[in-house]
Amino acid sequence: MINRQLTPATSIITHLPFIVPERGRLGNGVPVYLVEGGTEDIVRVELLFLAGSYHQHKPLVTYSAANLLKAGTIGKTSREISEMLDFYGAHLQVDAQKDLVSVSVYVLKKYLEPVLGMVQEIVVGPSYPQNELDILLKNQKHQHIVNSSKVAYLARLYFGEQLFGPKHPYGYRLRKKDFDKISRGDLLAFHKQWIHPGNLNIIASGKLPENITSMLEKFFGNNQWARPGQEPPEPVYTAMTNGTKKLLIQKDEALQSAIRMGKRTINRSHTHHQRLMIANALLGGFFGSRLMKNIRQDKGFTYGINSAVVSLVRDGYFFVGTQVGVEVCQAAIEQIYQEIRKLRTEPAGDEELMTLKNYLSGSFLRSFDGPFAQADRFKEILVFGISPDYYDNFLLELKNTTPESVMETAGKYLHEDGLIEVVAGKRQEVQ
Amino acid sequence: MVRFEKLVLGNGLRVIVHRDISTPIAAVNVLYDAGARDEDPGRTGFAHLFEHLMFEGSVNIPDFDTRLQDAGGENNAFTTNDITNYYDTLPAQNLETAFWLESDRMLGLAFSEQKLEVQKNVVVEEFRQSYLNQPYGDVWMLLRPMAYQKHPYRWPTIGKDISHIRDASLADVKHFFHKFYHPANAILSVSGNVEPDQVFRMAEKWFGDIPAGEPYIRNLPVEPAQTAQRRLRVEREVPFDQIFMAFHTGKRNDNDFFATDLLSDVLSNGSSSRLVQHLVKEKRLFSEVNAYITGSMDRGLFVLTGKLHEETSMEAAEQALFDELRTLKDEPVGDRELQKIKNKAEASHIFSESNVMAKAVNLAYFELLGDAGLLNQQTSFYFEQTPDALQKTARSLFEPERASVLQYHSVKTNTSV
Repeated sequence: MINRQLTPATSIITHLPFIVPERGRLGNGVPVYLVEGGTEDIVRVELLFLAGSYHQHKPLVTYSAANLLKAGTIGKTSREISEMLDFYGAHLQVDAQKDLVSVSVYVLKKYLEPVLGMVQEIVVGPSYPQNELDILLKNQKHQHIVNSSKVAYLARLYFGEQLFGPKHPYGYRLRKKDFDKISRGDLLAFHKQWIHPGNLNIIASGKLPENITSMLEKFFGNNQWARPGQEPPEPVYTAMTNGTKKLLIQKDEALQSAIRMGKRTINRSHTHHQRLMIANALLGGFFGSRLMKNIRQDKGFTYGINSAVVSLVRDGYFFVGTQVGVEVCQAAIEQIYQEIRKLRTEPAGDEELMTLKNYLSGSFLRSFDGPFAQADRFKEILVFGISPDYYDNFLLELKNTTPESVMETAGKYLHEDGLIEVVAGKRQEVQ
Repeated sequence: MVRFEKLVLGNGLRVIVHRDISTPIAAVNVLYDAGARDEDPGRTGFAHLFEHLMFEGSVNIPDFDTRLQDAGGENNAFTTNDITNYYDTLPAQNLETAFWLESDRMLGLAFSEQKLEVQKNVVVEEFRQSYLNQPYGDVWMLLRPMAYQKHPYRWPTIGKDISHIRDASLADVKHFFHKFYHPANAILSVSGNVEPDQVFRMAEKWFGDIPAGEPYIRNLPVEPAQTAQRRLRVEREVPFDQIFMAFHTGKRNDNDFFATDLLSDVLSNGSSSRLVQHLVKEKRLFSEVNAYITGSMDRGLFVLTGKLHEETSMEAAEQALFDELRTLKDEPVGDRELQKIKNKAEASHIFSESNVMAKAVNLAYFELLGDAGLLNQQTSFYFEQTPDALQKTARSLFEPERASVLQYHSVKTNTSV
């Protein structure tokens, strides 16, 4: 009989298999990064434009301009474009974020060339047909209205506004009426200003064909794809919370309340960012975190709770998010405060810290698994202009983490003073 | 192509290994042949509640998650109407930790009243978060009992009623464990940077001495053929109307599964698909519309869902969906259209093979269906389908008298946002 009390031996991760991509430049100056790898004949090509909703003059312009790239060009209808992409089994993923617009295509290697040709066509010359814009806005408005009956959505929306202020594009709270104010002209202007080779990086990953460079050159390197005559100035905004720390979005029929608490903090480009990620992980960054143990596993208040540090290019913030039964909402908030306070006042136990370190190094290893994941990790440092040794440094930082260093980091960046609290649902004072 | 090796242990546990040296990770998957369909009608939601308890400590190991995290691993699980499935991913060199943990909880759980109470609360909150406190969250609680009158697919995995969770007792938990959680009722699959022979040795070492258990003979009520249309109209405080339609399909292992799946793709896989082009873009009846199959092991459902625009009447919405189904019955799907959806099926299959965890989950699932090797034949089964086969299948499925139609009406709420 084997002794089941005995833990099998394990070894820790000492090295990350991060592949620094092969770099090149197209004839028009567009930087290209190649991440070769994988077992299947599949490829992803990502066009990364460094402008997002931060740069728009009206809400929803970035979103609409990005999502309607595939809605028609001078020569092709929306239907012809989707027929073609679907026929090759290609998956086009368009992501309009706060700081960037990403257009990715996932495709079998054997179909890469015709599919890239189509991607070029839609990215360079979208016609933004009025009827397609009408359909998109109407359907998205519908979705927004449905989402607005969900407590988690409301909490997220109002939290952003509380955090950055109503005038800041990072914090703008979307409203129904915003869907009625967008015109074709807004999209064409956004496209002209921001979706051009001067603002583009290309990351290709997977089992790349031998001629990948010449293929990218052919489609994205030629000079017919014009840059705007003058680079538009970078907009400048100042984050300003409006002074209300506690906000309740009342929903009388709610069975659960969504809680979102947090504050602005440093982002990925700061030297202490990795330290902060580690401290946050202990608080609420994984299933074994203190918040999860206390509020789900010990008290059964919730199905899940987490905390995260979010890096935006021009700012950053920390938040705790959960949904709890309305009757325990106040108790849950008090427990969250208590856990945040404990992070800077009570040292982590040796076992607790060891588990955290082992888990994080394994989780880090998983996040590099496969060429697409490698490309994603590279993208994170590219967008923030960080050097590639960032990831090796993480293991070192993790190794050097002590109970004291966690407390120090928490005291500096995760102090409970000045936290913003947003509750959507019902909030009852405890008896 | 996912190459694999297979071994059956003396106690009946099936072990499947796939080696992929391109990754530093290993994925370990344990599938138990027990789902919500195996529950007592008076104690529904139990398979899923039990999934939660599987993380609350076993006979020799009080804390599953922490021990896995100590090895740099992570895990999760899901419960369906057919199966309960657990998976762990960890650095390949620490593979044995997953064997230690998974085998101990197959051997026995550390049952306690207190842990049961907490997890009952967690599941009640999950019930509220996913079903009760969500707009349209109760749709499957309405649609399942319409489509199924006898078969246990008539309740969702979360359970028929929240009281079934609240009333679960420790005796129920123990009974469920002994009935379903034993080697002959499970499949262990491993994929990643591993040596098959070493995995088989580890399997023998950690799982080999677990008693075989009483075989579970599944004997579920058969759902009678539907002969008249079923209709339900409900009113809820939601912003817009929605419509749901369901038709009975065959079983996952029936020959017409592939044609049935492709029919749902013709209707709504991709933006060039029929429902999107005709009903969202041209007629603008819906903001979103979908068709999919449940693909369950017993007779499943072909489901259509539509989110109506404010000015669309429920009658027009229903008519439009029936018209699309009629076209599938009346006219063969075009060759190019069929080729398109086959190509999509091929691409999504190949993409799923780039993920170690997906490979482990899929190998176990196809082994349950009869043979792990079926995984590698899926694409060719789709490619064999013809316009004629699809039309024939459409004719057998889409009879109006075999439909269950749920009209979900909005009564206005105040949305000021």
